[in-house]
Amino acid sequence: MSRQSFVIIGNGPAANQAAESLRSQGSEAKITMLSKDSFRGYLPHLLPDFISGSIGEESLYFRPHAYYKEKNIFLRLGQKAVGIDFSKRRIFLEHREVISFDGLIIATGGKPRIPEYYQLFEDLMLTLKTPQDAKLWISKLKSVDSILMLGGDLTSLSLTRALLKMGKTIQFIINEDSFWPIPYSEEIYKAVAQRLESKGVQVVHCNKIRRVTQIDENLIEVDTDTCSVRTGAIGAFFGLVPDVRFLVRSGLDIDRGILVDEFLKTRFEDVFAVGDCAQVYHPALRNYWVSIGYQNAATLGKIAASNLLGSDLEALVAPESILDVGGVKVNTSWWTEF
Amino acid sequence: MTEVDFTVEVCGMAGDGTIAVGGLINEAMSLGAFSVLGFDSYPAEIRGFGRCVTNSRIGSSEIVALGEQAHALISLNDEQSRSRVPFLAEDCMVFFDSAPPTKVTEDKSLLSVLPPGAQIFGIPFGNLAVSAAGSARGRNLTALGGFAAVCGISPDLFREVIGKKFGSKGDHIVSVNLKSFDAGYEYSKSVFANRLGNIFSDVESNAASPRVMLSGNQAIGMAAIDAGLKLYFGYPITPATPIMEYLAKYLPKQGGRVVQMEDEISSIAAVLGGFYAGARAMTATSGPGFALMTELITHGVMAEIPAVIIDAQRGGPSTGLPTKTEQSDLHAAVFGGPGDSARIVIAPTNVSECYYFVLKSFQLAEKYQTPVIILTDFFLDNRVENVVAPKASEEQKACSNVFPEESSKDNYQRYHYSSSGISPRAIPGMEGFNFTATGLEHTEKGIPDYSPETHSRMTEKRHQKLFSALVDLKEPEEFLSGDSLDVGVIGWGSTFGSIVEAVQRLRKSGFSVGALKISSIFPLHSEIIRKFMAKSTVVLIPELNYEGQLANLIGHLDSKPVERLNLVTGTPMPTSVIQERIYQLMEVLAQ
Amino acid sequence: MKTPARVLVEQVRNIRESGRFAARSNALPTWCPGCGYFGIHQGLSDCIAELGLSLHDVVTVSGIGCAGRYAFFSSTYGLHMVHGRTLPTATGIKLANPRLTVFAIGGDGDGLAIGAAHFPHIARRNINVNYLLFDNSIYGLTKGQPSPTSPVGSKTKASPYGTLDSPLNATLMALTYGASFVARLFAGDPKGITKALIEGIKNPGFSIFHIYTSCVTFDKTFKTWTNLKKWVHPLPKGYDPTDMRKAFDEVLSDDFSMGIIYNRGEQL
Repeated sequence: MSRQSFVIIGNGPAANQAAESLRSQGSEAKITMLSKDSFRGYLPHLLPDFISGSIGEESLYFRPHAYYKEKNIFLRLGQKAVGIDFSKRRIFLEHREVISFDGLIIATGGKPRIPEYYQLFEDLMLTLKTPQDAKLWISKLKSVDSILMLGGDLTSLSLTRALLKMGKTIQFIINEDSFWPIPYSEEIYKAVAQRLESKGVQVVHCNKIRRVTQIDENLIEVDTDTCSVRTGAIGAFFGLVPDVRFLVRSGLDIDRGILVDEFLKTRFEDVFAVGDCAQVYHPALRNYWVSIGYQNAATLGKIAASNLLGSDLEALVAPESILDVGGVKVNTSWWTEF
Repeated sequence: MTEVDFTVEVCGMAGDGTIAVGGLINEAMSLGAFSVLGFDSYPAEIRGFGRCVTNSRIGSSEIVALGEQAHALISLNDEQSRSRVPFLAEDCMVFFDSAPPTKVTEDKSLLSVLPPGAQIFGIPFGNLAVSAAGSARGRNLTALGGFAAVCGISPDLFREVIGKKFGSKGDHIVSVNLKSFDAGYEYSKSVFANRLGNIFSDVESNAASPRVMLSGNQAIGMAAIDAGLKLYFGYPITPATPIMEYLAKYLPKQGGRVVQMEDEISSIAAVLGGFYAGARAMTATSGPGFALMTELITHGVMAEIPAVIIDAQRGGPSTGLPTKTEQSDLHAAVFGGPGDSARIVIAPTNVSECYYFVLKSFQLAEKYQTPVIILTDFFLDNRVENVVAPKASEEQKACSNVFPEESSKDNYQRYHYSSSGISPRAIPGMEGFNFTATGLEHTEKGIPDYSPETHSRMTEKRHQKLFSALVDLKEPEEFLSGDSLDVGVIGWGSTFGSIVEAVQRLRKSGFSVGALKISSIFPLHSEIIRKFMAKSTVVLIPELNYEGQLANLIGHLDSKPVERLNLVTGTPMPTSVIQERIYQLMEVLAQ
Repeated sequence: MKTPARVLVEQVRNIRESGRFAARSNALPTWCPGCGYFGIHQGLSDCIAELGLSLHDVVTVSGIGCAGRYAFFSSTYGLHMVHGRTLPTATGIKLANPRLTVFAIGGDGDGLAIGAAHFPHIARRNINVNYLLFDNSIYGLTKGQPSPTSPVGSKTKASPYGTLDSPLNATLMALTYGASFVARLFAGDPKGITKALIEGIKNPGFSIFHIYTSCVTFDKTFKTWTNLKKWVHPLPKGYDPTDMRKAFDEVLSDDFSMGIIYNRGEQL
């Protein structure tokens, strides 16, 4: 029998932890990591610190290329999976390559989401998911002092903290769509607004943005239903959507993310999903929960790796640490930490 | 002003237009006033298709050695390009066809074996070429366009050289190729907008003189033409054949003739006949053919007939490695053949020297009335460099034959003794100077004579002539040297470029190292070599042969043993290997 | 009254004045007394004299063996080559200076053994070289070994039990190789040699003169003077040397008919 081949789709914390765990648990299999991004794996939660200048670019990346060489892991950057045939265990890549696998861990993470009604102004909005995005922020911040934040997700809050440290003026529009996957509620809105204002952020209370106009390179005017705001730049933060669109017709169960059991298994043998792209079943809650955040992702990556190698570990999360907001279970507490 | 030292490889199957793309890169970068050294490799076997690889090293300063690690790879066939992965820099840019006509399995995919640091640029070569020019045949130019855009090379350079290259095939072909190139260029400009580099755009040109892209073999052919060659006799053999092909094209235009002979023996015989009758004649061969020539070369020595012989070395012995490079014919060139048969052996180290050495060889052969052997090798023959356009002065072209005085008519002694060993040489057609040249030992008049006195004196005369030639032979040249050296590196032939580069690098790091280039392999400028060896604590001689043939030839000149670095990998001597060896020697010295 | 001595002196003077000695060098040929090569030497020297060729415009290239020594005995420009390479050397000479008349001279060993590879090629290139192949069917200078034209069963010191190999026929080979001028001649007939050479030199391409000759020292059985004189005879009356088919027929049916076997009839 030829050597087993394990493939991990993704290059985030969950994917990297999974790869490392496979090796550290003694697997001799060929391990391939596929990443649609052409840059090295990085720690997304450090991006705001990078923008504020408190850490250098190199600290963003968690592993040098030499690590992969040493561990004999084929890290394939900039190579996008566009489909999977689970019955034949084959992955199709955008450049028409076909890869076979014996085991698969899907850890594609999420991508910035911009609600449909804002997509009209998308070009005028900055997001923050990758080091490239961060560099755009850095260059923009050289010439602007005021920023309007739209949304209210984890990233927006930690960026706000970083920008405040830089002495920037922050205006904030908390949007009802901000808290995906948690449905909007008056309570959450109030809690967040209060916290922001206590840090010196000007919260703009409105329901709707009507128009966004670029006045000059570093001045944008935003008309809302309640007022008109002038700012140097707009940041859009509406959470991440699981990056699983390419799997829609693959046969996997997908709700918001890929549905997996408490062992992180999908409905296909030897196929796992972890991190931002997965929704995990919780037997105690009898429901699925979504993981958000770096630590969670890494933990899940490790469990998936063990299970792929034959263990039966449950993704154990204390039920009380999972917020039940409007029926969606979320293991996070981002705004209380802000 | 930034410096650039960039190596790009193109890899594909025969028929992919690989060599064409490599050539266009060389020409375009040369046009952009960069220094270029290119080397293509492709299989000698006619049967089936084979892998083609071109390697172009492009620099803002003079490039003297082959690039060891590629900074960019243009893959026209991913399966073939897998073999190049060990030669890629960690952060190599890789240009590949992102929309091949058929699906590719992992074991044939290039991307599956690239190091994680590789920067990949997927461009639908074929599709772009089809939509731009109606045919996928231009996909190699599309790839080239993508490369130009990402590296920040002015597309005008490429447009100009594409126009030149395809101009003879008509405007339509030029336009199709330009369209394919532009399609790749524009695609990459927009798709990779945030990944575009300016590797070349900020670099200032280094060359004032008009430069011309030449291979070693072309330079040899050009030199022969400029020297007024009248006759070329040869027999096909890799890697010398291109010289014959070049001359077959250009020699008839100046009234000369190329005759493809029945073997190497007849080739050298005809060269001797040609020179004997007063015409400049030449042959080129490689080791196996050279071995066949040795008897007649010694006839040229004995009968004192000029000849010019190129030995384009390849891997040996015997048929050996026809398409691989080696420097293992030195012994054969210097010593090969019966008897004490000293002849002149010179070895160029780069393309420019290929020209000037061959040009000079005709004068040397005429003046010293002896075969002159020029040792090149597969790498030197086939690599291209954009050299300052070589040009021969009238003085360099002039006939150097020493004709007899009119006064010696009717009492002419063809092999007259003289202190220099040189005797005036008459040419058939000159009235009153009839003589018979012979491979037998002979008197001054050319009459066979085996007496102890005659053989002793004539042997001495022939060797004296060679020592006299030292004044006309290029002296060993010191590079980056000093009054005393920790390590003195001596080299010859195509290896010398790597030696200079290794020494340059180490001197930048403060090491006391220097290099000595030996162009005249025989006779040797022994005193100069001895002095260099004496002032070096350690003498290192890197060569592409197993036996250390130059080391054997000059090792005795100094009392301490020389260090040898011998590779028979069939590939050019890597700079890094020499560098590493010098490091080791320095470490030993430090202890 | 003409005494024999006077007759001789007169003959020598006549020869001198006729220029027939001009093409001979001062060196005395080293061939054995009675060697057939003297006759060939006479035939070639007479040809040069008769044609009035300037000696400095003639080059004689010779190989190794008794015939190879020829260059030393000629007062033309001479080039004594290594064994077997007269033809390519002559090619180089002729191409270097087409004004020169070039004679290539070698024995049967030189031309049909070690140098046989060159024979077809000079023929197909049709280089204007005149090749005199001295065929005595023995290696003389190395003291009597069988040559490529020795008959089967030849006994020599090197073949004490007789040779097994079939002999080559140089005339037939020349025809086969497409030589534009082929003559078969006899060393015992210097006049015939001169006549054929004069015709052959007119041929602007490759001319071969296949000359049957005798080694008086090492061949006591085959090409002896007695045998050769008995065997050789002129070509049939009315023989047309421009007809290649007839030439083949003639050569295949008769080993000893002498004369111009084939002349393509090319003009300068």
